[in-house]
Amino acid sequence: MMVVLLVLPLLGTLFMLLWPKIAPLLALLTASVCSLAALQLLFLVSEQGNQQVLLAGWPSGLAISLEANSLSSLLILLTALLQLLVGLYAFATHRRDKLGAGFWPLSCMLQLGLTALWLSRDLFNLYVCLELLGIVAVALVSLSGDKAIKPALNYLLLSLFGSLCYLLGVAILYGAYGVLDITVLAARWQADLPSSIALLLMTLGLMLKAALWPLHGWLPAAHAAAPAPVSALLSALVVKGPLFILCLLWLQLAGATQVAAVAPWFAGCGLAALLLGGVSALRTPFAKNMVAYSTVAQLGYAMLALGLLLRFNQPLFAAALWLFVLAHALAKAACFLAIGEITATLGGKRINTLKGASQTMPLAMFAFAVAGGSLIGLPPSGGFLAKWALLQGLWLQGGQLFWLLAIVLATLLSAAYVFRAVVLAFDRADPVAPDFAPRILPQWLALLPALAVWAMALYSEPLLQLLKQEGL
Amino acid sequence: MTDLSSQLLLYIGTAAGLFGIGLYGFIVGPQTLRRILALNIIGAGIFMLMVVLAYRGLAEEAALTLTDPVLHALILTGLVVAVSATAFALALLTRLNQAKSAQCKPDQLRHGQEPEQ
Repeated sequence: MMVVLLVLPLLGTLFMLLWPKIAPLLALLTASVCSLAALQLLFLVSEQGNQQVLLAGWPSGLAISLEANSLSSLLILLTALLQLLVGLYAFATHRRDKLGAGFWPLSCMLQLGLTALWLSRDLFNLYVCLELLGIVAVALVSLSGDKAIKPALNYLLLSLFGSLCYLLGVAILYGAYGVLDITVLAARWQADLPSSIALLLMTLGLMLKAALWPLHGWLPAAHAAAPAPVSALLSALVVKGPLFILCLLWLQLAGATQVAAVAPWFAGCGLAALLLGGVSALRTPFAKNMVAYSTVAQLGYAMLALGLLLRFNQPLFAAALWLFVLAHALAKAACFLAIGEITATLGGKRINTLKGASQTMPLAMFAFAVAGGSLIGLPPSGGFLAKWALLQGLWLQGGQLFWLLAIVLATLLSAAYVFRAVVLAFDRADPVAPDFAPRILPQWLALLPALAVWAMALYSEPLLQLLKQEGL
Repeated sequence: MTDLSSQLLLYIGTAAGLFGIGLYGFIVGPQTLRRILALNIIGAGIFMLMVVLAYRGLAEEAALTLTDPVLHALILTGLVVAVSATAFALALLTRLNQAKSAQCKPDQLRHGQEPEQ
């Protein structure tokens, strides 16, 4: 099953390059088959426990091993479903938005890189996945033409630098321990100086790639310059890859003293991302930049949850961390698709373009508002679920008034930037006239993930249980 | 990590030096081409470190006679990735320069396609 999930996108990409004419069809087909396979993998894992595959039957240690637990199969399912949805959106709008033909094979490669990343438990395989993901993401950003080249190049340079830092860490760890497999490495782990240096280098590289504060500078420009479907994929999925590896490193490898030293820094960075990212989202005059800054802010929640999880070792924080990742992926895909659709139809990049959008494009605006509700954390959305887990964990620890207040402040900030757009949309006095008749299908496609994130609340109990026990 | 002969130390020092030079170039260098080259120098430093570690990563008595094939495989993979990434970066840089020179002559563009909106 896992091999199918990897081979299928690869084959799909090859065939797309051979027959570019039916590339959209192939992309949709690949994504839908992969979604089914991912669903089956999820069932398999929930029934029979963790699955492991050693490629080509080599003994463990030599073979490339793939491991699926329920978290990674959930993430694979999310990846495949979002890929399908964004593929449909891109198919519905590619003539109008002049989306390059390169989108289809590249998005398929993106799916391959992400799936491989969720399944790998080997430091070097993870490096290869990271590189693949970074290069494909940059190529996708550069699809939107000349104005995107500069941010794309900047993204590429920083992403390469991040990967090199990660690679240096891998080299040091291999030199010290002689293994790359994370579980074996964790058994031999000693919290000495080389391993601390290696961990710090890898953390630096991954934070740069995941755009975690204070290394987030490249993200708003790159995500805002990309075409709408690409921004949706990048914000929803790509930045989560390095975050996943970061969690693997710190939750499975690092020794107790190392964890204790770094946990407050992680929590502090998360808090700074929440506040400063929120303020930037509130101040920026461009609609897509606002959503991109909101990604920076929301990644702060994940970082904060990771820091608190490392500090208190409370399973509720693990649940909060992964719930944030899931809810943010769905909500951000909806936001980017909705904003992309609105700005394309109303013809403008500034937030002022949204003026009167509740009248001219009610569906897309509804999608944005509903997804924004999850970003704020309004009950009963997925974002609320995550925030509730975080608050409950803090409450159970007791005496964490500072963090509780900080989260309240961050929530107010995210409410402010979401409502800034929504209020403009309800200003019906002088609405911006659409350049052409708004299309229904893309708006519905933008609404789907927004509804899905609210539907997460229906499955809150099993999700919480699953993520609490998993936590990697 | 205890028995380091002076030769190995020299190699490791060189690798660290290369990494440092590359890091300096990447952070300081204002031109994109220089930053791409600096990334390559960082990569060279890391690969050199890995080559050296391949000699001393094994058991003590076997060191310097046998090398660790896993690290060599990793270096090969890393080189392939580095070369393709560099090629991609250079291609992007070329397109950036083309776009810039096209912007400088908007009169010519007006006949052809729209300049950047």
